[in-house]
Amino acid sequence: MSDRFEQGLEALRQQIDARISSYFSSCVHCGLCAEACLFYTETQDPRYTPIYKLEPMKKLWRREHTFWGKLGSIFGLSEPLTEKDFADWETLVYDSCTLCGRCSMVCPVGNDITYMIRKQREGFSVAGYAPDGMKEATRRALKIGSPMGVTYKTLKAALAHVEKDTGLQIPVDKKGADYMTLFSSMEIVNFPEYIESIARIFDATGVSWTISSKAFEATNSGIQIGNKEAAAELVNRVVIAAEDLAVKYVISPECGHAYTAIRWEGPNLIGRQYPFEVIHILELLEQLKAEGRLQLEYRDATPMTLHDPCQIVRRGGVVQQPRELLNSVAENFVEMKDHGVMNWCCGGGGGVSANERAEPLRLHIFDRKKKQLQETGVNTMVTACANCRIILEEGIEHNEMDTEVISLTELVADHLTASSEKK
Amino acid sequence: MNGGSNHSLVGHGVKTTVIRLLLLWLFALPLETVADTKESRGLPSTMVLNPAAELWRDVRQRDMPTSGTSQVRGVDSGVLINANGDKWRKFRMQQLIPIGGYLLLGIIVGLTLFYLVRGKVKIVAGASDRKLPRYTSYERLIHWFMASIFLFLAITGLIILFGRPLLIPIFGKEIFSVIASASKEGHNLMGPLFMVALILVFVKFVRRNIYQKGDMSWLLRGGGIIGKKHVPSNFFNMGEKSMFWMLVLVGSVIVVSGLVLIFPVFGQSREWMELAHVGHAIGAILMIGVILGHIYIGSVGMEGAIDGMKNGYCDLNWAKEHHDLWATQMEKRGEAIANEDVNRFSDPDTNESLGRELREAGK
Amino acid sequence: MIAQFIDGPLWTFSLSVFLIGVIWRIVTILMAGNRKDLATPRGSASAGAVRTVFSRSIYERSAATRGRLLLIAGYLFHIGLFALLFFAQPHIDFIAERITGLGWTAMPHWAFILSAELAFLGLLLLWIHRLLSPVTRLLSDLDDHLGSILVFLVMLTGCLALAQSFESLRLIHLLSAELLLIYFPFSKLMHTFTFILSRGYTGATMGRKGVNA
Repeated sequence: MSDRFEQGLEALRQQIDARISSYFSSCVHCGLCAEACLFYTETQDPRYTPIYKLEPMKKLWRREHTFWGKLGSIFGLSEPLTEKDFADWETLVYDSCTLCGRCSMVCPVGNDITYMIRKQREGFSVAGYAPDGMKEATRRALKIGSPMGVTYKTLKAALAHVEKDTGLQIPVDKKGADYMTLFSSMEIVNFPEYIESIARIFDATGVSWTISSKAFEATNSGIQIGNKEAAAELVNRVVIAAEDLAVKYVISPECGHAYTAIRWEGPNLIGRQYPFEVIHILELLEQLKAEGRLQLEYRDATPMTLHDPCQIVRRGGVVQQPRELLNSVAENFVEMKDHGVMNWCCGGGGGVSANERAEPLRLHIFDRKKKQLQETGVNTMVTACANCRIILEEGIEHNEMDTEVISLTELVADHLTASSEKK
Repeated sequence: MNGGSNHSLVGHGVKTTVIRLLLLWLFALPLETVADTKESRGLPSTMVLNPAAELWRDVRQRDMPTSGTSQVRGVDSGVLINANGDKWRKFRMQQLIPIGGYLLLGIIVGLTLFYLVRGKVKIVAGASDRKLPRYTSYERLIHWFMASIFLFLAITGLIILFGRPLLIPIFGKEIFSVIASASKEGHNLMGPLFMVALILVFVKFVRRNIYQKGDMSWLLRGGGIIGKKHVPSNFFNMGEKSMFWMLVLVGSVIVVSGLVLIFPVFGQSREWMELAHVGHAIGAILMIGVILGHIYIGSVGMEGAIDGMKNGYCDLNWAKEHHDLWATQMEKRGEAIANEDVNRFSDPDTNESLGRELREAGK
Repeated sequence: MIAQFIDGPLWTFSLSVFLIGVIWRIVTILMAGNRKDLATPRGSASAGAVRTVFSRSIYERSAATRGRLLLIAGYLFHIGLFALLFFAQPHIDFIAERITGLGWTAMPHWAFILSAELAFLGLLLLWIHRLLSPVTRLLSDLDDHLGSILVFLVMLTGCLALAQSFESLRLIHLLSAELLLIYFPFSKLMHTFTFILSRGYTGATMGRKGVNA
C-alpha cells in the first residue's frame, strides 16, 4: 500500500463520527435511496444506488467499529479496505454523485447519505483518487484564486464594462460598506449580466456594498473534491478580506456550492465563527422587497418555471425566497411537479461539471430535467445558480429543445421600476 | 340404495339437494360392503371404521324429526345426533384420502415417467445471444409470493389430510399430534394470505389470460409436448391460460370454503361445514396436482422456462419456439436485449467494468 | 432438560445479551462524537431532530412512484409486528411474568390474528423483493438475510404454536426468539433503536438550515 493511500485511509478514518456511525448502523439496505437518485432512475444501473457509493467507508467502519468486523480482523476473516477499492469506486463517488441531497430526504431511517459521500471524498481526495478535472480546478483555485483561472484583472475588465453600460460606479475595496459580495467564476466569464443586475439593484435600493479585489471568488472547489484543507484555505481568504473591509454581511451569489461552502461549512472549516453574517443574494433581494426598498413593476405574462438549485434550496434552506421573487415578476409561474426541496438536480453539481469523463453520463441523466420540463409545458426556466445554468443550457442544446434559461436576479433587475433607477 | 337420503327435512331445499347429489355420486361406489363389516379391511390400523355401523343405520332410518329444542341458542343445537356427520367422516376416510392420495401419487409417477421418456424439452435452436423482457419485478414478486404461500398451505394441508395414515406410523402419536397442531395453526393463519395472493395474481395477469385466436388449435395439438413440432402461441399458451383460470376458479372455491371453515361463527350448520370441507379438500387436491405439473415444467421439464420468472428475461429462441406470436411482435418492436446488457444490470459484478465504461465513453 | 434450559438460563442469557448489547451499541455510536456546528443556525436543531424522527415515517411521494407495493409491505410488516409483539395476550402474559411484573390490555384475538397475517404479508413481500430486485441484490449481505430469516422463523414458530396446547411448540418459538435476541445487537436489526439517532442527527442538521426534512 502506498503512502498516499495510507494517508487517505487515515483521513477517511477520521471522518467517522457519531452521525456516520449511526447511519451505517441503521441502514437496512432497503434500496429506496436509489429511487431518489437521478443517476439511478435514468440508467437503472443498481451500482448508482446512493448507499452503494459508500461501500469503501462502510468497509472501514465495519472493520473498526463493529463486533463482527473487529472479530473478523483479529482472525483475518474480514476484508480490509484496499487501494483497489478506492480505484474501483472513484467513478461512483465523483462521476455519479452531485451531492444533490435527494437521497438524504427519502431514506426511511433518516440517513444523510449526501453528508456521508462528502465525508468519504475526504479520504479519496487525500489518497489521490479524484477526477483529473476536479484536481486541476482545485489547484487553480488555490494558486490563482479561481477554479477557472479568473484573476482580478479579468474581473476588473468585466466591472469596467458594467460601469460603462450602466453609468454606475462599482465600489471596490470600500472599507466599512455593509455588504461584500462574491462572484463565481462561472458568472464572471459566462454570465457577466449578473454583475450588471446587482449593480443596478443595489443602486436602486440604496444598498451599501463593495467587492474585495483580494477575495472575490465564491466557488469552493475544496468542497466539491472533498478536501477540508483546500476548502478551509479558500473560505479563509474570503473571511480575512471581509474582516479587513469590516463589512457586516457577505453576499453569496448565484452559485450553489458557494453557498454551502461559505454559509454552512465555512465556520467549521476554519474553526471559528465569523464576525459577519452570510446572506444569499436571493435572501437579500426578498428582504429588500419585503422592506419596500425594492420596487418592481409589471409582471411578465410568459409562462415560467423554476429550477431549484440543490445547494441553495434543499441543502441551503433558501426555499421560499426564489418563489416570492419569481411570483412578483411573473404572472404565470408554473411549479414543476417535483419542486422546492424535492426538485431534481441539473446533474452538474458537486464537481461533475468539471469532470470531463462524466460528460456522457451527465448528458444522459438530463432526461429527468427534460421530462420535468415537458410535464410543465413551459419554455422558460428560471434558476439561481450559474453552474446549473450552463449545465441546463448544455442539456437543452444536446436534446435540441427550445427552452430558455434565465437567471432570477437578472429577471428581477429587468423589472426595476424606471423611477427607482437613476439612469 | 341405503336410506341416507330418505329424510325430507323441511326448509333445507338447495343445500340438501346438493348434499344428496354429492353423496349419491359417492355411494354409487361399492362401499356398502365396507360399512357392513366391523373390521377394517385393507386400511391402516389408525383408520378405524365406526364399530357401531348398525346403530347408525337405525338412527338414519328413524321416522321422527331429528331436530329438537334446546335451551342453548345456536345453529344445530337442537340436533342430538348428526347422522350426516358419519357419512362425511366415512367419505373422508374411505374415499377422499385414498383416492386423493393415489391421484397425487399417480401424477408424480406420471411426471417421472414422462421425464424419463420425453426428457427435458430443449431449445431446438439452442440458446441465443439475446433475451426478451418477460416479467417485471412486480410480476415476479407476486408469483413467488403466491408460490411460497401455496407451497406452505399445500404441505400443511397434506399433513392434515394424510398425516394419520402416513405419518403416525413413522412418528408415533405424540409427535404427530404436535405436527398436526402446528400444521393446522399454520394452515389457518396463512390461508387468508392465499386470498390476497390470488387477488394480486388475478389483477396482474388476467389481461394476458383472455382467450385469443389460436389458443384452441394449440390445445387440440397438445401444445406440441408430444413430438417435436412446436405450436405457435401468444404470451401465454392455452395450457398456461387453463391453469390460470383453474387457479382462479378452483382457488376461489378453496378460499371461500376455507373462510367458511375458519370462521364457524356466521351461523353455518354442521352440514355446511362438511360441504365446505369436501369442496376445500377436493379443490386443493386438484390444484396441487396441476401445480405439480407447473413445477415440473419450470424445473426439469423445459429448458429456459424458469428464466423469465427468475430474472425477468427469457431467451429469444425459447420465446420464438414456445410463444412465437408474442416473440415476433417483441422483436419487431426492437425489444430484444443482448445478454451482456441483461447481465450487467441484473447481476453487476464490480465497479471495474463501470469505471472502464465511463472512461471509454469519456474518451 | 432442554426445556428447562430454554425456559431458564438461555432466556436469562439471551435477554442480558440483548439489553447489554443494545445499550453498548448505542453508547459506542454516541461516543464517536460530533463536532460542534459553528455556523449560525437559521432554525432550531432540536425541533428539527424531533420533527424528522416522526416525519420520516411518512414516505416521500416523489420517490414512491415505483415502490408503492414495497412501501405498503414495509408499513404492514412493522406495524403488524409491533402490534402482535406488544399487544397479543400470550406475549403480554409472558412479559408480565418474566420482565415487568405487570401487564396491560391486550387487543382482541381477532386483531392479534389480523396483525399476524399483515405482518407475514409484509415480511414475505419484502423478503422476496430483496431477493429479486437488482438494487437490493447488490446491496444485501449475510446480515440482511440472516435478520430476515430469524424474524421470519420467530413469527412462523409463533404461528405454529398458536393453539397453545403443546409445550414443544412453545419452546421452539421461545428458542427462536432467544436466538434472535442474541443476534440482535450485532446486526442491522439495531435499526430498531438507532433509527432515532440517525433520523435525529439528520433532522437536527436540516432543522438548523431551516429545511423540513
